Amino acid sequence: MRKPYDSIGCLRAVFMRELRRMCSRPIYFFCVVVAPLFSLFFFTSLLDEGLPHRLPVGVVDLDGSAQSRQVVRTLDVMDQVEVCRVYKNYADARDAMQRGEIYAFLMIPSNFANDLQGFRQPVLTYYVSYTYYVAGSLTYSSLRKLTELVSGAALRSSLSAKGVGEEQMMAQLQPIVIEAHALHNPSLNYAIYLNNTIVPGVMMLLISLMTVYAVGSEVKFNTARSWLEMSNHSILLALFSKLLPYTLAFMVIALFADYYMYGVLQYPCEGGLWPTVILTLFMVLSAQALGLLFFAAVPVLRMALSLCSLWGVVSFSICGFSFPQPAMEAPVRALSWLFPLRHYYLIYVSQTLDGNSPLYSFTNYAVLLVFMLLPLLLLVRLKRALIHTDYIP
Amino acid sequence: MLAFRRWLTEMMHIAGRELGLLFCDSGVLIFCLAVPLGYPLLYAYIYTTELMREVPVTVVDDCKTALSREFVRKLDATQWVKVIAVSEDVPAALQQIKEQQSYGYFVIPTDFSQRIVTGQQAFIGMYADMSGMLYYKGMLVGATDVSLDMNEHIKIARSGLSTVREEQLVSYPVRNREVSLFNPQQGFAVFLIPAVLILIIQQTLLLGIGMAGGTAAERGSYRQWLLRERPQPGLFCLLMGRSAAYLLLYAVISAYMLCLVPRFFGLVQIARALDLLLFMIPYLLSCIFLAFTLAILMRNREMSILVFVFTSLPLLFISGISWPGSALPGFWKGVSYLFPSTFGINGFVRMNNMGASLHQVATEYMALWLQTIVYSFTAWLSFRRLRKYEMRTE
Repeated sequence: MRKPYDSIGCLRAVFMRELRRMCSRPIYFFCVVVAPLFSLFFFTSLLDEGLPHRLPVGVVDLDGSAQSRQVVRTLDVMDQVEVCRVYKNYADARDAMQRGEIYAFLMIPSNFANDLQGFRQPVLTYYVSYTYYVAGSLTYSSLRKLTELVSGAALRSSLSAKGVGEEQMMAQLQPIVIEAHALHNPSLNYAIYLNNTIVPGVMMLLISLMTVYAVGSEVKFNTARSWLEMSNHSILLALFSKLLPYTLAFMVIALFADYYMYGVLQYPCEGGLWPTVILTLFMVLSAQALGLLFFAAVPVLRMALSLCSLWGVVSFSICGFSFPQPAMEAPVRALSWLFPLRHYYLIYVSQTLDGNSPLYSFTNYAVLLVFMLLPLLLLVRLKRALIHTDYIP
Repeated sequence: MLAFRRWLTEMMHIAGRELGLLFCDSGVLIFCLAVPLGYPLLYAYIYTTELMREVPVTVVDDCKTALSREFVRKLDATQWVKVIAVSEDVPAALQQIKEQQSYGYFVIPTDFSQRIVTGQQAFIGMYADMSGMLYYKGMLVGATDVSLDMNEHIKIARSGLSTVREEQLVSYPVRNREVSLFNPQQGFAVFLIPAVLILIIQQTLLLGIGMAGGTAAERGSYRQWLLRERPQPGLFCLLMGRSAAYLLLYAVISAYMLCLVPRFFGLVQIARALDLLLFMIPYLLSCIFLAFTLAILMRNREMSILVFVFTSLPLLFISGISWPGSALPGFWKGVSYLFPSTFGINGFVRMNNMGASLHQVATEYMALWLQTIVYSFTAWLSFRRLRKYEMRTE
């Protein structure tokens, strides 16, 4: 028998007991190893291209002249779009759009070539469907570029006829040029933009679910009392030694994900090694704390799991990496503070993407720290629940 | 005929009992009632503003002339950008970004006005923080609009041509017109919410039926479903009866989610009612049968939450809504065909948002019926396995 108050011994015993539990059912392996790694490889391979290429678009060529075919060819050689068909009329193209075959189409009016040569300003119309948002935005920018090119080519031929030089010609075409630069993600790589928040987000969801399940299953399988006995009836020691294996396992997985994204795939990581490791640790611990908080507040396994799911899934929307948080309604903006992923995302942007000192993320680190400390307030309640509650299905 | 009627009565009986069980189980009710009722409201509310307007930016104006100030003024006047300050220099502008006051800055170089006056091309630098694509997009659209507007005036002033007509031609030999179909204000909610609604239907069915399956497995007995009746109902009858219960419940829930929720938030809603009804039948059925098939893997009550919740995001991505379907790697495209949500989302979005008719979504419709047939068979197989298992343990 162990000596009383031998904390290290207790810790080791509960730790080993938890490892045995983790090996006893495949669901642990699934949630700790399979699901996070699946998400990592899924999202990184899905967004491998960075920006989608060759999005299918259509053309309605009512002119059928050499010039209009030149326009179609110009469109087709653009990197982001591919002319998959030339339609006879508007109705056919609209039908193709509704069938989901194309994301946008260009309409070249009849007499396009004649009007162009006769200076009668033909109108190129492009129809874009923003039902598919990313595809719509990208095809729109390609089509806009196309009309600039066509315009430029037409102007160029009339100006060079008047003997205007190349440099003057460019100034005539476009006196003011906007040179757009995307800081730290110059190629507008969607993989960099999305994966760095989605992958940790999925991981946080799984971590908090797993924490609830680990603690809640003690109640479910009626082992809570023996677990507490094993840790000298100290709820703090019991929780620490029980959750430590998960912290370690998730840290290994999360650090591997960091290594894979920043090391292998070369996503920008301006923050350096240690700030990134610390951020990862904060990510794992705050997600564990969130799970513990929910179970301590509502010690019914399925309710706490449902709350974690709700929190985890909503956090993808509310953290503001796809639709910006400043654009949301005031109550939603306020609510977003309660989601650890929001703070993780802000720290990631400032520290890892932009390379700012972690001091700029002080507030967000502080909030994550508060998340980690919150369960301590409910420890007494949790202990009582563990001892006295029976499993509620 | 009589046999069929007896079969039908028995099926109705099973359906009724399943509904009874369903409404007694508060865990399953959370997923099959509370989540489908409440979650769409929360989700739509998050995106209810639709657009990112007035991205806060700063300007570094090294030129300080009337022309550069005109640019700044016009930029601020667009709905896309809000100039919160004129920064001293680039480090000061960067500092604003670090403190999360702005999401980018413009640099107007010293020779900006001079170049324009002397007939050279002038450049304005735009630097956007990449924490969100919509900041970049807002800045680019705002700045491009302003530059096009100013370009037109500069061109006309510069060309020195005699007639108004000739001036127009110099500015625009070809005019262009953009028509944004089906989502005219390019809103975020209009694009995302319909897809999410359809996905919620599948995910809550997987969760709810998975939980019911896990509960039965855990109590060491499938008798509750399968063996209580003497004589035993046929497996097919059992499958149909249980599916009918969920179909009935989700018919009501779908009506709420797909007809009422978009109305609450003023989203696009142009599907033909009959087409939509016909489309939802195979969608609901394939989801239910898939859920019954996978429920056999659930060893305990809570397992379905651990397994299914995190799949929502990958499923949304491979459906082709948030990431263009044409850009999906072949392997993941293949995987996406396994889930009813892929076809359900595409078909529903095109009918609801783009006014497609049922025959324009025929591919998706047929695929859903195919899935219904395949998954009803796999569900039948899993029921048969449960019964065999049950016989042995009895």
